[in-house]
Amino acid sequence: MNIDEAQFLSTMSGGFKPTRDWHSCTGKGVSVAIIDSGIDTSHPDLDGRVLKSVEARSDGKLVVFDETDGGDSAGHGTACAGIISRIAPDARFFSIKVLGAGGLGDGHAFLGGLEYAIKERYKVINLSLGTTKPQFFAPLHDLLDRAYQAGCIVVAAANNLPQPSFPSVFSSSLISVIKSEMTDPMKFGFHFGEVIELTAPGVNVRAAWPGGGYRNLTGNSFACPHIAGIIALLLEKDPNLTPFHVKSALYAIASSNSQ
Amino acid sequence: MPEPRNGDFSDKLRRLVETVDVANVLTEPLTHSIKSLLTVSAAQIDCDEASVLVRDGDEGDLRFLIAIGRVADQLLNMRVPAGKGIAGFVLSSGQPMAIADAGEDETFYAEVDKETGYSTQTILATPLRHGDDVIGVLEYINRRGTPPFAPFTPDEMDRASTFAGAIASLVNAYQSAKLFRDLGENILSNDDPDAPSIREWLENVRDSAEHREMMDLAVLIRDVASRGDAERNLAREILESVIRFSEKNESTSFLG
Repeated sequence: MNIDEAQFLSTMSGGFKPTRDWHSCTGKGVSVAIIDSGIDTSHPDLDGRVLKSVEARSDGKLVVFDETDGGDSAGHGTACAGIISRIAPDARFFSIKVLGAGGLGDGHAFLGGLEYAIKERYKVINLSLGTTKPQFFAPLHDLLDRAYQAGCIVVAAANNLPQPSFPSVFSSSLISVIKSEMTDPMKFGFHFGEVIELTAPGVNVRAAWPGGGYRNLTGNSFACPHIAGIIALLLEKDPNLTPFHVKSALYAIASSNSQ
Repeated sequence: MPEPRNGDFSDKLRRLVETVDVANVLTEPLTHSIKSLLTVSAAQIDCDEASVLVRDGDEGDLRFLIAIGRVADQLLNMRVPAGKGIAGFVLSSGQPMAIADAGEDETFYAEVDKETGYSTQTILATPLRHGDDVIGVLEYINRRGTPPFAPFTPDEMDRASTFAGAIASLVNAYQSAKLFRDLGENILSNDDPDAPSIREWLENVRDSAEHREMMDLAVLIRDVASRGDAERNLAREILESVIRFSEKNESTSFLG
């Protein structure tokens, strides 16, 4: 990896100056899964970039995934994919539709989608979703440990509500993001010690929308894909980065941003 | 009033009607409270058009429960299919979001706008959570003034989330009371061949002076109880005195 030991150690003291060559990366070859409402694969920003779309379906007590031709029931997944593609246009996108899939409880489809993404070993997993149901705490924790061990980097959006949402409050095994009013995605923030560590643009973000257009959107959901896109750039630069390395690198970059 | 059918059955039906009516007494003030709070919250968010959508069935569909604004009447009881549009997304994801330029291709609102003649441009939607469940969606549409409307701000999104907590509690109370009412009404609307005559009898019971007086009393007690602890305690003491007086009279009458 490009971050050497001296640089890495200095990261901890906040004095690290990361090399900026990752800025010129495009996410080439990095697989990015979007677990969401589907993706409009014909959108000009995404046309030809979504390699596979699957949709959750209930099969008895199991959640199974069938390949589909794409499509987005709510617009949200397309917006998230569009934000990532703006930062990492050459990333390889995979759509895992868990919202708007009929007959499935929200939490079960969501967990099934995450498990599917880990099994497929997608390198970056964008989760602009969450659940507050305590019964999903343990299985999500287990899945995120599996993601960590598999080298999958899960990026999750916090919610805006008084209750904690899972998995965004799990600090060790994933990267959690909350919106800020900043506009430059490269100037994200890292707040070590807070439950939600990263801040990224999430207010009036112009994003792709089903049908070929764009919408200005606000929410933590739209901060999360900015960080997923930046991680795709870092991974193109060094595909062997582990979740631990990525978090350290984000911390280092954010530290240099704040100087 | 027609003669009651056999004694036990009539008593059960009478209790059922009372249950349904008490549930109505409970749900009506709740819908009024939800609407009042929705109006207050909308003013705080600089908006005149707002609605409360509730989960309808097990598939994730939504139904407009309460709405304020120019097309409120047209929205009431309109349904949003599962996962469709911003509201469907917010229900299933539990994530609040705002859209500054909904435009014509926001699938659900395009259909609503077509029906109502309204033009939805900005939407702020936040989940209604009760406990660990998302039970509905709180939506604000278009800021006050004339288009183009300024986008809803993060601060307004936070304020909406705060109001959503209070509105969700009322919606949950409403749904509990409604469940009570629906239970009774479902029993009444079964396929029993006697259902028409039972329903006719029930209508007569409801129209009877005795029944109306009873419901008026229930409403009166509820109103007094809602005025505060002192009033509630006073009402309780008075009612308990009435019961004691009545028991004493019955007892005297029996011995006499």
